[in-house]
Amino acid sequence: MVDDDPSIVAVVSDILIAEGHEVVSAENGAEALMKANGEALVLLDMRMPVLDGWGFAREFRASGKRSPIVVMTAAENARRWAEEIGAEGYLAKPFEIDALIAAVERYATGRH
Amino acid sequence: MTALELVSLLTQAIYVLIFVLVTWTALRRRTRTSVDIALFFGAIATAIVESRIVTTFGLSQVELITDIVTLLVIAMPYLLLRLVDDFSDVPAVVSRLAEAGVVLSAIAFVVTVGTVPPPILIAIVVYFAALSTYCAVAFVRAGRRSAGVTRRRLQAVAAGTVLLGVAILVAGFAPLLPASLAGLPTGLTQVLALASAIAYLIGFAPPQILRRAWQEPELRSFLRRAASLPRMPDTRSIVHALQDGAGSTLGARAAIGLFDPETNTLRFQDPHGVLPSEIGQSDYLAWRVFETQHAEYYPDAARAHPALASAYRTRGVRSLLIAPISAANQRLGALEAYTDHQPVFSEDDLDLVRLLADQAAVILESRALIDEAARVQAHEEAARLKEDFISAAAHDLKTPLTTLVAQAQFLERRAETQPSAPADLPGLQRIVREGRRLSALVLELLDASRLEQGKLVGEREPVDLVELARDVARRDSYEGRQITVVADAPVVGSYDPRRIGQVLENLVENAVKYSPEESEVRIVIAHRNGEAFIDVTDRGIGIPAGDLPQIFQRFHRGTNVDDRRFAGMGLGLFICKGIVEQHGGRVSVESREGAGSTFKVVLPMETER
Repeated sequence: MVDDDPSIVAVVSDILIAEGHEVVSAENGAEALMKANGEALVLLDMRMPVLDGWGFAREFRASGKRSPIVVMTAAENARRWAEEIGAEGYLAKPFEIDALIAAVERYATGRH
Repeated sequence: MTALELVSLLTQAIYVLIFVLVTWTALRRRTRTSVDIALFFGAIATAIVESRIVTTFGLSQVELITDIVTLLVIAMPYLLLRLVDDFSDVPAVVSRLAEAGVVLSAIAFVVTVGTVPPPILIAIVVYFAALSTYCAVAFVRAGRRSAGVTRRRLQAVAAGTVLLGVAILVAGFAPLLPASLAGLPTGLTQVLALASAIAYLIGFAPPQILRRAWQEPELRSFLRRAASLPRMPDTRSIVHALQDGAGSTLGARAAIGLFDPETNTLRFQDPHGVLPSEIGQSDYLAWRVFETQHAEYYPDAARAHPALASAYRTRGVRSLLIAPISAANQRLGALEAYTDHQPVFSEDDLDLVRLLADQAAVILESRALIDEAARVQAHEEAARLKEDFISAAAHDLKTPLTTLVAQAQFLERRAETQPSAPADLPGLQRIVREGRRLSALVLELLDASRLEQGKLVGEREPVDLVELARDVARRDSYEGRQITVVADAPVVGSYDPRRIGQVLENLVENAVKYSPEESEVRIVIAHRNGEAFIDVTDRGIGIPAGDLPQIFQRFHRGTNVDDRRFAGMGLGLFICKGIVEQHGGRVSVESREGAGSTFKVVLPMETER
């Protein structure tokens, strides 16, 4: 998951780990590009320093990676932004814990 | 009939024609000037007609008529002087001398029954020549002083006077020439007299077509500039440009009075300082025109409004052309052209002043529309800024809220599924921290909102800034960092201690946040010239030069900035600036990237409430 707010990264990691997932976290798009290694799903914040969600998605796709992306944003236009970058899904902050788990179950590849 | 005779006849005909024209004008609108002009040409025409009748019919000259004609001719320079006085000003002593000259000449002529002895004759001729020269010079000088149509008319009159003078001189010297050349001066005199007649006609009674031709270049240049006038910086400059344009077109001074519905007056900005700045009901002729919405020509303002005659006289306003400025059904004001001499305007100029007033109306109305559009735009811009701000604020509030909601639900689920598990201390701490963050954001938002209403600063009391700074430095919200306060003596002023403390705390927090852990943060407090100076300095990352000008703004975003990258409210410094300014002080920052920043607060020490 990619987010510049450390609290959100911490709580989302805790939740997903408790669900039995593995979580790799990065605080901006550039760090995430470096760490990306065929993950089943990318949870992506949009407004971040260094490299934002748009930049990350462009370079991520350009490098041929196909992991599904779920946009996670506090902005009102979460859905439009998700469409803009060709993301599979979106989560509007603040989200319910069930919505987070459901989104991960639904979009993550290689899991059933 | 020889060519010479033809020229002579033509000259005489033109003089008679001018006489008829000016007499007609004088009968239609009797003013001092029109009467003076009619008298002057009447004298010439009488002399011409008399000699023509005598030569044509071979009548023996009737002595009485010849005497009257001679007296009229003697009076001519004096009549010319009266005209000079109409167009410019003749000192009283000159007028008295001229009057005395006329009377003495007439007496001499009557007493000697036509056979004036040579010394007296020479005196009369000298008087005649001196007065004519004075008039010619006066007309030339008046022409130089005036502008536009008036200038051209005065130039023509001056030329006419000079030509007439030369014609008389040539005629006077004719007997001195040898007989073989006798025809030459006669011919020259006739041609000069004709030229002078035409010049007088042009100057004193210019036909409408000529006036129009003279006005056209000025009018053209005015109309050419008209399109760009509404975009001038303010209405005041537009009014000035309109006044200048109208003035040069009419060859007079012009002023525009704009209607102010609140005071129910016309407000003038006369650059010449002649007209009063405000004209209200029942005052002055401009108001009359404004009310009736009919353009008027007042050749004699004092006579048109006797109650205000002395006011017009002291202001040097002799004749007036006034036209209402109105667009659709809206009365915007009045255009007033005025001059301190009567013969500058003519009845025909009414059309022109109406045209100029209509043009002014179009320009002022365009300006009003531009202003209106700007107001709407500013209103929309303010609404957009507000919306952007609310959206940015919502974004910032949602960030801690996301952690709060998710973490709380996660803890709840954990408590349900694993009741015996130990407490998730990091998760609980996260809730506390994000809860505080949220409440700090809400307070910041409230402060920003109060600031906009000017209600941020509360009761003031005597506060020692040094003591306050030491208090702030002792607070434990700076990650355990040491804050140094440097001051020689107490600095006391009347402030809201809570708000000034907030400013100091905010500046110190920023300094701590953006500087290395072991580096010093220092508050220096001093005072001089009745002002308190607070500098908060750090050795941190500094601020890029490009960001410095906007650092205290609540919300800045150039059109070239991607709005998706905009994040954070950055209200802290905006609120600091607001608090300081509401105390009558000012804030600034000096910074070098990589070397640190100094935030400077200046507060007045004697604060008025």
